[in-house]
Amino acid sequence: MTDIPSAALKSAADSPAGAALQPAPGFDDAGFDDLVTGLSRWSAALPDWPPARRVRAEWEEVAPRLDRARRELSRVLVVGVIGGTGTGKSTLVNALAGRDVSPAGDVARPTTVAPVVVVARDVDCSWLALDEVGARVVTSDAAAVANIVLVDCPDPDTQGPGAPLPAGGAQPPTGGAQRPSTHNHNRDLLERILPACDVLLLVATAQKYRSWSVASEVAAFAPGRPLLFVQTHASRDADIRDDWRQELERQGIEAPAIHRVDGLEAARRAAAGLEPEPGFAGLVKAIDEELVGRAARRVRRTGALDLAGWFLHQALGQLAPLRQPVADLSAGATAQAQRLEGLMEKAVAGTLRASRPAWQRVMEEELVERWHGGPFAMFLHALAGLGRLWPRVRGSGFVGRVLSGQGVPPVASGDGAWQSIGEVGLTEADVEQSRSILVGLAARAAIGEPMVGRVRLDERAVQTSVGTLMERTGHWLVGGVDRLVAERRDRVDSAWSRAVCELLFGALVVAVLGRAAWSFFYGHLWLGNPLGGLGFLEEALVWIILWGLCLRWIVFARLRAGLDRDIAGLVTRLPGARLVEPFLHDFSTAAVAAATFLETGDDLARRHAALEARIEEGRSTLGRLKGHGP
Amino acid sequence: MAAVPHKTPAAPRPSAVSRYVAWAGSVGELCDVVDRLKGLAAELGTPSPEGAEWYGQLFGKLRPQVTREPVMVAAVCGGTNTGKSLVSNVLVGAEISRSLPEAARTRCPVASLPRGLAAAVDLAALFPGFTPRAWSSDTDALGGSAAGDDLLVWREDPAGRQPARLILIDTPDVDGTLRENWHRAEAVRNACDVIVAVLTQQKYNDAAVRDFFAAAAAAGKSLVVVFNMVNWPAQRERIAGWYATFVAETGAVPLAVYAVPHDFARAESGTIEFFHLPELTGGSADPAAPPVDLAAALAGVDFDRIKLQAMEGAFRVVLDPAAGMATWLEAIESSSREWHDARGVLAEEAQVRVELPSAPRELVWNEIWRWLEPRRSRVDINLSRLYRAAGSGVAWVGRRIGVGRTEEERRDDFAAVELAALKQALATFIDRLEGACRRSPRLRALLGDTLVGGDRAAWYADLERRHAALPMVSDDYRAFVRGELDRFSRENPKFLQLLLTGLSVGSVARPCITVGLMMAGAAAVPAAAAAGHGLTTLVHTAGDYVVWAVAPLAGEGVLGLTMAGLKPLLERLFAGWSAERSRVLTETLHDVVLGDRLEVIERLATAGGRPEVARARRLLYDCGREFTR
Repeated sequence: MTDIPSAALKSAADSPAGAALQPAPGFDDAGFDDLVTGLSRWSAALPDWPPARRVRAEWEEVAPRLDRARRELSRVLVVGVIGGTGTGKSTLVNALAGRDVSPAGDVARPTTVAPVVVVARDVDCSWLALDEVGARVVTSDAAAVANIVLVDCPDPDTQGPGAPLPAGGAQPPTGGAQRPSTHNHNRDLLERILPACDVLLLVATAQKYRSWSVASEVAAFAPGRPLLFVQTHASRDADIRDDWRQELERQGIEAPAIHRVDGLEAARRAAAGLEPEPGFAGLVKAIDEELVGRAARRVRRTGALDLAGWFLHQALGQLAPLRQPVADLSAGATAQAQRLEGLMEKAVAGTLRASRPAWQRVMEEELVERWHGGPFAMFLHALAGLGRLWPRVRGSGFVGRVLSGQGVPPVASGDGAWQSIGEVGLTEADVEQSRSILVGLAARAAIGEPMVGRVRLDERAVQTSVGTLMERTGHWLVGGVDRLVAERRDRVDSAWSRAVCELLFGALVVAVLGRAAWSFFYGHLWLGNPLGGLGFLEEALVWIILWGLCLRWIVFARLRAGLDRDIAGLVTRLPGARLVEPFLHDFSTAAVAAATFLETGDDLARRHAALEARIEEGRSTLGRLKGHGP
Repeated sequence: MAAVPHKTPAAPRPSAVSRYVAWAGSVGELCDVVDRLKGLAAELGTPSPEGAEWYGQLFGKLRPQVTREPVMVAAVCGGTNTGKSLVSNVLVGAEISRSLPEAARTRCPVASLPRGLAAAVDLAALFPGFTPRAWSSDTDALGGSAAGDDLLVWREDPAGRQPARLILIDTPDVDGTLRENWHRAEAVRNACDVIVAVLTQQKYNDAAVRDFFAAAAAAGKSLVVVFNMVNWPAQRERIAGWYATFVAETGAVPLAVYAVPHDFARAESGTIEFFHLPELTGGSADPAAPPVDLAAALAGVDFDRIKLQAMEGAFRVVLDPAAGMATWLEAIESSSREWHDARGVLAEEAQVRVELPSAPRELVWNEIWRWLEPRRSRVDINLSRLYRAAGSGVAWVGRRIGVGRTEEERRDDFAAVELAALKQALATFIDRLEGACRRSPRLRALLGDTLVGGDRAAWYADLERRHAALPMVSDDYRAFVRGELDRFSRENPKFLQLLLTGLSVGSVARPCITVGLMMAGAAAVPAAAAAGHGLTTLVHTAGDYVVWAVAPLAGEGVLGLTMAGLKPLLERLFAGWSAERSRVLTETLHDVVLGDRLEVIERLATAGGRPEVARARRLLYDCGREFTR
């Protein structure tokens, strides 16, 4: 990635004129640099998504131009003269150069077959790669070209469609000898020279201003290149500038000013040293005011900003149809997670209800362990002690193991992994159904491998996903169960209810002991009745046990009351726990990544609009391609 | 006027006209076969023939003109703003089409008809694709005509000097930014016999202009070249070079060349002058020659010869083996071959083994018992009822202690496992379809929309709905079981007798078996299915079960017969049940997922061998022979 800001600083120090970079009025250089950095990061952000890859590919085309615009801020502008054959491009160039530098005339079409580059004597144009296109460089002392590089370009309209590849191309319909145009490569040359141009000077006549071939070249090269418009043959043709402006408008091009000149007359006057005619003088003035000095820098900056804006517009335009599918995928991933969680909810609720005895035992043990210090507590502990003599049933199955505190069992491999999640209500078929639905939604959003996996998970993925699911479910269940048990225990285990129980139990014990004391001290010692024997105590013990059991039943019944409802309440919280994520996370992650990519693009567009709004007042009379191309 | 080969426009010579009238039958048949094949070709994904040169000549030239009263159509064609309307107006002798300084203003063709011809010819048929509309003013051709609504404005010659069989047409441009103008100009070019090519020094070598006239020359149209806006006489010498380039590029052999001097005033008043340049077409130059009347020159051409040449040219284009109709037929055949390959890929990829759980034994056995019911003895039946009652009691106890499940629960378990298997098969099928689409671009074109745009959640919902609506035992299946058992009992009367006797005799010793039936039922099925056992395993278990039930009653002697005779029968009964269950998946696939696309693929894969294609080939061959003779 090119580091634009530092490159810009370096080029400022190296700039040939040594002139300090003066900020253009209204142009936020730092903001623009930030925007370029943002665009570069954005375009590389999601290489696995094909639409984002296309954005990247387009960025690769645009980035060097933006980079150059920043580095070569103070270099003279290269103005490409473009138009259909016979519109008088060369004649106009000759007029601007003040002498015949490019062959012009009506002998044969096309006249110009190699680009002609017109430069002032002191301007270095070695940085233009002219050899590739066989361009010819001529120097001129004319004031009009003193501070620009003018390129007389070949025409786009005489090269046939099959010309670049005559060997394998289509046969001419005549079936006869090769046509002369087979060797015409003017359009190819034009398309090689135009990338080096900063500004396009579009030349047209009444016959050619609606030419399709010229319009398509302009559409391809206008982004980021300000435009000058000239109607030539002024002395022969009617004034078509209003109609041309409308036509340009239709092509998405803004044309604040169109010059109208007669190239032949201008060249004649220039050669004769006469005062130029008003139309030509207007064009020369426009070049001087709009393309030279500080204006050149402004042209480069606004051109670069336009180019960035065009890139964003194109990129977001291509991405626009994917917005809904990406949102659908996101919603689909949520819906499928909910579906799977619904299945889990049902199954887990059933298992929990079925393992009610285990729940009760856990709660009772918890309660008994906290109850100390009274006769009833002693009674409860005694019963619990007896219960422990009974062999304890170990919890079976996933839920049983979790409830009995044995933790999450290890995940088996192969089919066993699927069988183990069958206990929590999920099957391979359910997961595959969700993944298959999401694969379809993802495909609609142009998302495929490697952003998302395949419908059928491989064994490794199954094992890790099932492991994660079971572990999460286990933690969630243990936490939920502990909370539930603690809540119920605390409800029953209050000082008041303890006091009541101890009082009620103690009352019977006291009554029994009191009765024994009464019959011993009063009945036996005072009245002399014979002792009743220990038979009475056996009877009392039975009553105490029965009474204790009765109290215990009441306490535990309070503990159990509403347990089913609480279990149902517990499992309704399951969907919030994102337990099934391991099976679908690739889809939700991909949807988030794509949505973020789109949002970043929107944000960059907003930043671009803000930058553009700041320079809107400073716009020149140069034409430009508006955000929307044809 | 020595401008062009001169002949009095009299009635057509029978020899010239009869030559192409003889093709009428062949042309009609060719058009018919193309019309028939067009839908198929579009389905096959071959490019539409309507843009092809041969199609334009066949439908735009030959069909409308081969049987009609021969008229000669002369069209004025050229690039934007070259003065086509001006030349047309001069030819007609009245302003039929407004000539304006702005380019590309003529949006639809304007025809000038000789007096009385409008009633004699059907313009809509003569210019297919156009809607004729009577002329109302010279602005008719401007703006107005929207894309898709191709108007042809017509007017009868007000001056009354237009030759009897000559139609003059002003056309839209062939190189402007409005592509629909190009298409309209091409449609007129196809229909015409003579083209007045309006060229300028700016445009004579533009690729779009060259291509337009090259196609006209290839189709045998006669060209009259007019160089407009010439700096006269300064540029007179230049014209030879321009003309040489034009002729070399287009392959045209124009009838005559004219130059029109650039003159604002004359253009304004519609009185431009045409200077004939005979030196360019084999004559000798005469710099002092006065301007000529182009309209009269055009009226003087040999209509029949030009007409015949244009018709022959059109036919030649249609029959051209390298660019004519044959290339379209080749495209159809090669496309069909690709579909054939695509069908192979689909057959290879889109196969799914549905691993349905084994049928619940009790369901099939219930049906067998039901069939046996009327054949059993009273003693056996009564004892059976008794055992069944006892068995129900045992089953009840089993359920209470948590080891048994009700029949309904067992069926629910089974249905859940079966639905899971069907859904998995659907997921696999979709996945494999995607694989097939990756391998074949043709399949991707046909199925991609469904796989990418289809609502898969709805597919699963449909499968679930169908599965839920499927009764465990359908009437169809009942009839099938009865039929199979009837057939079996007819073929093995001895076995049936033995079985019935065994049942009666052994009913006393059967309580455990009845209870076993109640208890085992389908309970083992989900486990068996989950472990991956298929249908065969199930049949084995069922077979063993029968042996277990029968052996204690009838002794070892029956065993061989039982296994040999019963196994195929049971296999059929169980397989029939499973086949019926899996039909829901096929129904979902056909009704919801694929629609009629499989039929489409089948049709396209065999399209190359369709009789229409063979007929078209034979017709082309016959026409070629007829044409060369």
